[in-house]
Amino acid sequence: MFAHIRDRFGKIFYPEEYTSLKEVDGYAPLITDFESLWNRRLYTRISDAFNRPITGVAGGSVALLERESKDYNRTFRLTGGKKTVLNLASYNYLGFAQSEGYCADTVEDSLRTNGIGMSMPRNQGGQTKKQIEVEKMVARYLGVDDAVVVSMGYATNSTVIPLLTSKGTLIISDELNHSSLVSGARMSGATIAVFKHGDTKDLEAVLRRRISQGQPRTHRPWRNILVVVEGLYSMEGEFCDLVEIVRLKKQYKFNIYLDEAHSIGAIGKTGRGVCEYFGVDFKDVDILMGTFTKSFGAVGGYIAGRKDIIEHMRLSCYSNMYTECMPYPVLAQVESSLQLMMDEVPDWVGDGPARIRQLAENSEYFFHRLIELGFLVLGSPGSPVVPLLLFNPGKIPAFSRMILERNIAVVVVSYPATPIIAARVRFCISASHSREDLDYALEQIDEVGDLLNLKLAKK
Amino acid sequence: MNTNFKALIALAILNEVLGSGLEDENPALFQTQDAGKNWGAAGSSESASAGVEGSTNYKSLVKIIGFPFRLFMRYIRGSYKNDPFRTFLELCLVVFFVWYVSRQKYKMNQNDIKLTEKEIDELVQEWKPEPLVPGLSKTERLILDSIPVIDGQNGVEVRLKNGDMVDNFSNYDYLGFMSNNEKAREKAVKTLRNYGVGACGPPGFYGTLDVHMELEKKVAEFMGAEAAIIYSQGMATGLSVIPCFSKRDGVIVADSGVNFVLQQGIQLSRSKVFWYKHNDMEDLENVLTTTNKYISKIKGPTPKKFIVTEGLFTDTGSIVNLPKILELKKKYKYRLILDDSAGIGALGARGAGVLDYYYGEKEGNGKDGVAEATKEVEILLGSLWQAFGGSGGFCCAAKELIGHQRLSGLGYVFSASMPAIMAVTASDAISRLAERDGDGRLALRKLNENISYMRQLLEEINNNNNKSINGYASEEKRLRNKDSNVSSISSVSTNNDNFTDRDSGIIEIEGDDNSPIIHVHLTPNCMRQAVQKLGGNGGINSTQQFWTRQDEELVMMQLASEIQTTYKVLVCSSLYVVEREKEPAPEPSLRIIVSAGHSKHQIIKCVEAIENSINKLINNY
Repeated sequence: MFAHIRDRFGKIFYPEEYTSLKEVDGYAPLITDFESLWNRRLYTRISDAFNRPITGVAGGSVALLERESKDYNRTFRLTGGKKTVLNLASYNYLGFAQSEGYCADTVEDSLRTNGIGMSMPRNQGGQTKKQIEVEKMVARYLGVDDAVVVSMGYATNSTVIPLLTSKGTLIISDELNHSSLVSGARMSGATIAVFKHGDTKDLEAVLRRRISQGQPRTHRPWRNILVVVEGLYSMEGEFCDLVEIVRLKKQYKFNIYLDEAHSIGAIGKTGRGVCEYFGVDFKDVDILMGTFTKSFGAVGGYIAGRKDIIEHMRLSCYSNMYTECMPYPVLAQVESSLQLMMDEVPDWVGDGPARIRQLAENSEYFFHRLIELGFLVLGSPGSPVVPLLLFNPGKIPAFSRMILERNIAVVVVSYPATPIIAARVRFCISASHSREDLDYALEQIDEVGDLLNLKLAKK
Repeated sequence: MNTNFKALIALAILNEVLGSGLEDENPALFQTQDAGKNWGAAGSSESASAGVEGSTNYKSLVKIIGFPFRLFMRYIRGSYKNDPFRTFLELCLVVFFVWYVSRQKYKMNQNDIKLTEKEIDELVQEWKPEPLVPGLSKTERLILDSIPVIDGQNGVEVRLKNGDMVDNFSNYDYLGFMSNNEKAREKAVKTLRNYGVGACGPPGFYGTLDVHMELEKKVAEFMGAEAAIIYSQGMATGLSVIPCFSKRDGVIVADSGVNFVLQQGIQLSRSKVFWYKHNDMEDLENVLTTTNKYISKIKGPTPKKFIVTEGLFTDTGSIVNLPKILELKKKYKYRLILDDSAGIGALGARGAGVLDYYYGEKEGNGKDGVAEATKEVEILLGSLWQAFGGSGGFCCAAKELIGHQRLSGLGYVFSASMPAIMAVTASDAISRLAERDGDGRLALRKLNENISYMRQLLEEINNNNNKSINGYASEEKRLRNKDSNVSSISSVSTNNDNFTDRDSGIIEIEGDDNSPIIHVHLTPNCMRQAVQKLGGNGGINSTQQFWTRQDEELVMMQLASEIQTTYKVLVCSSLYVVEREKEPAPEPSLRIIVSAGHSKHQIIKCVEAIENSINKLINNY
């Protein structure tokens, strides 16, 4: 409100600062003042808590580049200093983001023999033997027919969903689905319905209504229905209720698209994701999607499932057709981390499973300790993502700065990833954290929590 | 969201009504109304208890119903005395509220047919979904199987899975930086040992490495722009930037030849789109005029207006008429979104793309006007995966616009950042081009020589084959008679003699003379022959265009694999996701990409391979 009023006056009194917002010479403003209100009025003030540049490996601890701002965060200047802090921010669940060890050695070998990128789309000459090998490996890991890899995680969702669906298809999506899933659904031209986050009863209600009513206006039956859910919701730390969804699938004959961006590698006894965690047959889920960004310490994503679906993807996935394929170093990273997770490297026996165990222990410990301390924590126990609610956006910079002073890097989240009033801080637990690391972090969070009055669940 | 809003309004109104009702209570009024005693102090709980105590059920019912009514009437009476206008206003609010709530409900289930639970169960039972994807067709299967598989490193020469070394003419590595790149590899290994592979987070959450910031700075400097932002995948760039600025209320005028990524970006933005004929400036002007007419009819503030075009068109190899577009855009007050993914690294004196091509340093004058021209282009997109050998893409624009993207560019906010290795590789390639005496400039000159040499040789194919084509009918008959197996087809060629006058030669070469991307099509005549040979749908008794797109794709694929297996040259047939492309999808072609790394010998080999393969295909040698 105040910001809007300030804008009004600002436009009159300081025209030069507002040129990008005003209609100049018949051009409509590129950024409307409403859209960028958050950006200009609130975000600038707290922007030192975001986009913090780092250097080196984002492992268990990370080196931040110090920066300063003399004009209230409008611009930043790197001071050249470095500060090594405990990293509770990166999605490095299994600690594979390393510059040494088996993975890095494999990548180095690959760089020396195979070079770097391909600069060709996959279906236009860029298909490499390595890609096919990695795909087979992913399929073997998940115990499904086939898999296809895509060069970017975000693009995996946004370029694959349009291929699976078209006019006459109904996409039923969880309301808190990731932006990439939403983009994909929008590009597809299919009808989109939304059900309440994690509420399978609502899903069933939506299904019953939509199936019985058929397509809007024409009331023809749907060609098919795709239910899109995430395995682990990264902002909530919650698992989807996969068991119930699979039961519904059998009753209502829809297809499941499961996005395991965060859960693959991190959840389940051997890291095979939520299917393993819930004891669901992998083949009951039609499309298993996951990314290599998080647990694998690489980039890109995969789609795994039945052979007919995957072959279709391989031929016409947008990313395979129109943009770069997966470069060699990334493939090598994926391959080597998968090998470790499946425990197939003679020299490193037990390394992968140990990481997965360590992560599970760490996440449980951290989650329960936070609750004991009286914080309001979201999510399911066992999730490597632990969000702690701050609510008031004013506490974002306070928390972030205070915890950084105590040498811990955390992610504070607010708009656009969550509603403005449900700001939260998110801890990402990694297998590379030791118990001492976590204890130190908890101690500091405890202190900051007292100062900011965050222990809302304390009795 | 909606329900919350409704609840809020309801609360506000209730508050208003109750609050003012109580406020207006004056003792005198209170005394006169004996019913008032019942509720005045404690409100509804008392009335409920009164209901229980009441002598008969009927009476208590009346009391319960009567209570709010009396409250209401009393309130009206009370407030009317003081301020009749306010009562009216509040009544209006109540009416509006009721209308608002009921309207929403009506709209949601407008088209619903009421069904019983049993009927729904039956319908669910009956419903048979189609399979999610159709199985691959025969052609699709062939195409999928024919996609070459490379084993080992990228470069001018690559090794295929079966061990063959082939000359690579399908690589966007215009400058040949990817072959013999020992230095780049050493640097990549160093980067790996410093940074690992993935950054394990989106740029906003500790995923911004110092190498990313350096790369952004370098890109901005190279293009002469105020600021730049990098996206981690080429396709994500277009998909994020267009919807970031043009929303539902935006108006986009786009070239109908733009590549698929931009098409999808435009679709994703949900703006109103007007297409103009590919690279046709007159048509653009017409479209702009009609669009402006359309806009003047819209109420409300002026919408954001954009022209979307490519610099060097990936799908056709033509170069945009940039000076004219800049002129028109100023005249009609549009902003320009220019995607020069394919052109950057290939065009211009220092490889800064189409801007450099038109405004860069020309021979004789040492003036580089790229920076000024870049300022004219509001949003400039480019790729880092093509000429620069890294991955991802970038967007150059004014500082505020880049800042806006850091929060609203979906591919930036919600996706992991680029691996450090790729960022360093791209950044090095840019440095090599930016240096005045660097080897990048040398490579550019070599590239231009290679392009014109390639074009010249390709033209010669037609000259060589003109004769045979002109006398095609007779020659073909002669060939047919030799080969009794296909004699039945010879009647077709006589039916279509008019073809031979229309086009001479066997291939059509598409694209600008300076474009490193060359699309080679077969002439209709030649295509007809080829389709027949392959036993496609080439019906005997149909009219001129009697083959389908699938046949054409098949022919091109056949050609490409012939060129690859027999002549050891890797040229790809251009593939598209046809059913999702804007109509009409670009025609199937052989996409040849010339690189500075190619030797004259390799170019000759490539052209010979194309010529011989086509001849082999249509003449069945």
